[in-house]
Amino acid sequence: MLLAGLLGPPAATAIMDASRLRQQMRSRYGEPGLAALEAWLNLLSRLRGADLLTRLGEVNDFFNRRIRWVDDLDAWGREDYWATPLEALGNGRGDCEDYSIAKYLTLKQLGVPGERLRMIYVRARIGRSRITQAHMVLGYYAAADAEPLILDNLVPSLTPAARRIDLDPVFSFNSDGLWVGDASSSRGDPLARLSRWRGALARMEEQGFL
Amino acid sequence: MSLIKQLWLIIGLVLLLAFGGSLMIGLTATRHYIQQEVRIKNADNANALALSMTQLDKDPVLMELLLAAQFDTGHYRAIRLENPAGETILQRQADEQIDDLPGWFVALVRFEVPPGRAVVQDGWRQYGTLTLVSQHSYAYRTLWRRGLQLTAWFLLAGLLSALLAWWIVRGIRRPLQATVTQAREIGERRFTTRPEPRTRELREVTAAMNRLSTRVREMLTEEGEKLDRLHHRLRLDPLTRVANREHFMQRLQASLESERREAHGCLALVRVGDLTAYNERLGHARIDTLLAKLGQALTRLADGEEGSFCGRLNGSDFALLLPWEDDPRALASRLAAALHPLADAAETIPLPLAVARLTPDTRRAELLSRLDAGLAEAEALGPREQVVDSGTAPPPLFTTHDQWRQALAQAFDDGVYLAHYPVLTPEGELLHHECPSRLRLRGHWRGPELFMPWVRRLALQPRLDLAVVTQALREIDRDGLPRGIHLSLEGIGDSHLIHQLQRLLTTHPDAGPALWLELPQVAVQHRLDRVRDLCQALRPHGCRIGLEHAGAGLARLADLQDLGLGYIKLDVSLVAAIEASQERQAMVRGMVTLCRSLGILSIAEGVTTHQERDTLIEIGVHGLTGPRIRDPRHNLEDDSDGD
Repeated sequence: MLLAGLLGPPAATAIMDASRLRQQMRSRYGEPGLAALEAWLNLLSRLRGADLLTRLGEVNDFFNRRIRWVDDLDAWGREDYWATPLEALGNGRGDCEDYSIAKYLTLKQLGVPGERLRMIYVRARIGRSRITQAHMVLGYYAAADAEPLILDNLVPSLTPAARRIDLDPVFSFNSDGLWVGDASSSRGDPLARLSRWRGALARMEEQGFL
Repeated sequence: MSLIKQLWLIIGLVLLLAFGGSLMIGLTATRHYIQQEVRIKNADNANALALSMTQLDKDPVLMELLLAAQFDTGHYRAIRLENPAGETILQRQADEQIDDLPGWFVALVRFEVPPGRAVVQDGWRQYGTLTLVSQHSYAYRTLWRRGLQLTAWFLLAGLLSALLAWWIVRGIRRPLQATVTQAREIGERRFTTRPEPRTRELREVTAAMNRLSTRVREMLTEEGEKLDRLHHRLRLDPLTRVANREHFMQRLQASLESERREAHGCLALVRVGDLTAYNERLGHARIDTLLAKLGQALTRLADGEEGSFCGRLNGSDFALLLPWEDDPRALASRLAAALHPLADAAETIPLPLAVARLTPDTRRAELLSRLDAGLAEAEALGPREQVVDSGTAPPPLFTTHDQWRQALAQAFDDGVYLAHYPVLTPEGELLHHECPSRLRLRGHWRGPELFMPWVRRLALQPRLDLAVVTQALREIDRDGLPRGIHLSLEGIGDSHLIHQLQRLLTTHPDAGPALWLELPQVAVQHRLDRVRDLCQALRPHGCRIGLEHAGAGLARLADLQDLGLGYIKLDVSLVAAIEASQERQAMVRGMVTLCRSLGILSIAEGVTTHQERDTLIEIGVHGLTGPRIRDPRHNLEDDSDGD
């Protein structure tokens, strides 16, 4: 269960600390990383106020271009590592979760309500073959019972879910509503660290995203 | 607040903090742990159920079956499925089952666990949100049991700690109390010493007080010894160690003139015949040895008897007064048996005897001249002759032992009469009334000269003492005036009597402090251990214990004082005509000073003249008694005896 004990601080109140991000990026990934971060910060300032579809499309494109798709094992030296946007940008490589997380966070920074964004586990068929693979995409739900728009790196453009016949949805989650009335559950709680999602959120907070 | 109380308070507080704190921490940690577990369970189960539902067709019956199956395991309080619009699709709910737990406990620990939430997908769409709340009852019950266990364990541990603390505190309290008691005793001028306790601070205090006590006591003992030496020099014949003429005459005078009816018994004179001739013939040394031996023999005869004393009247004449001997003939035989063998050593030295019975009206001069004549008569009759002057003995009240025994028993049962003689301070305040006893025999109250010889002969002194104390306590209960009661030497030696006195004093708790018990000084010389027992037994009841007829033997005063000796009555032989004797004044002054240092009252007995009274007041005695001392305020019935 990936979501076991998933708890975190309310994402809606997230305030980004750009200087801290820069400092982190420089010390960890040097000038190339810093350049990527600057590009991301530019994107944020450029898209603030843009219409929703533009924001979704641009963010989707930004990460699909910036990050090369590799296995976690190649990118991070271990399986199933959920990277923060800073790590993904700095490294320039990432797994499907890393795309989804980076897009999720960026859209939230751009004022897209968290409850409309869900990360969705999907079964993906690669090309026309019958080979399937576990994959993750980010879905944008215009309404709770609507079909989502899919932000994916396999098909780089923003696509309604119905047209993605290569994907079978399995399960979805986001960080909203999971900590109702319990914002105090802190990083210090050792059980919270067991969750990958919570781990990634904690790291984002450390790095200055939240 | 006392040190021990503070110690207990601190121990109690520390125990409460330690165990109360542990209990709180233990329960809080358990509660937190349980809460976390429930939260994880909520989240897990919600996700698992949502995942299963997502995989299935969204057939309502299937959904309901799935939800019901999960719910019916019984571990849930509520499972609810809502559509994205927030309307309930399916719902199962159960009550909390915590009726068996106390409400205050539930209110106190009330779990706050967020429900588990997960979204059920229908393809790409959201089918609904699953909300799941686990049953808390088992958690409350677990917490309650844990609380009980912890409380029980902490009570046990607290009890053990308290026992340990009690043991430690007791170890501190005992020496502390001993130290406080000693300090108080020193404050009361009783210079006691105590074994040093183990606690260092207390040990130092006790050691210091012991040093103080020992030094003061040594000093006072030294003073007492000095007074004793002075007494010996002034009052004793240097060769024979018996009273010298002046001392003997004073005591005899006091006995004869006593209004307390002590003038009874027999007086004997013994003469070493032809002393000058024998001195020349046998040498001074041998005759001096003989005289010393005679003195010792007479002292032995007088020793251990209340009121008995002997003296050397001049170079050749010895005198012996035995107040309780009412048969002069028997006394003469005893004297002859004791003394004649001594004088047989070299040659048969003449040792004539004369014995006379004392009667209340006898004058000293008349008595002595009668005895002198008797002695001359005996001397003329032969070297070992005895002349007995039976005097005009009053007709005996009873003739046989049995008659006396019955009559005395009856008299004790009827109750004694107490005469009253006030003892006043120089300012005229009443210290107490001296209360000699009278017994009703043959229809009249009789003085001790009549019944005492028989009381002694029949060994009834303890009974008499008890009767007298009983009467005194009764009278104290009635008028509250303090009374001084004489205890006999035999009474002091009777442990049964001491028990009876204790019981009496317990039934008259208010009268105890007004009871002054007087012991004969001879008791201190011969039965010190008994005196000690008596003091220990009776002092808790508040009675004062004193010595009467005190003269020599003051070196032991410091020893007696820590027994609780409260007063001494200075013997009349010290008091009589004191204004004329600088030496006796010095001695009495020394005794009074010694008493003052020990917190003991000194009372002069037998004050007969104004000159004596004024001199004694100038010396500083605390109290006076005698024919000249009358208390105008407490004029109790006068001595109404005799007839």
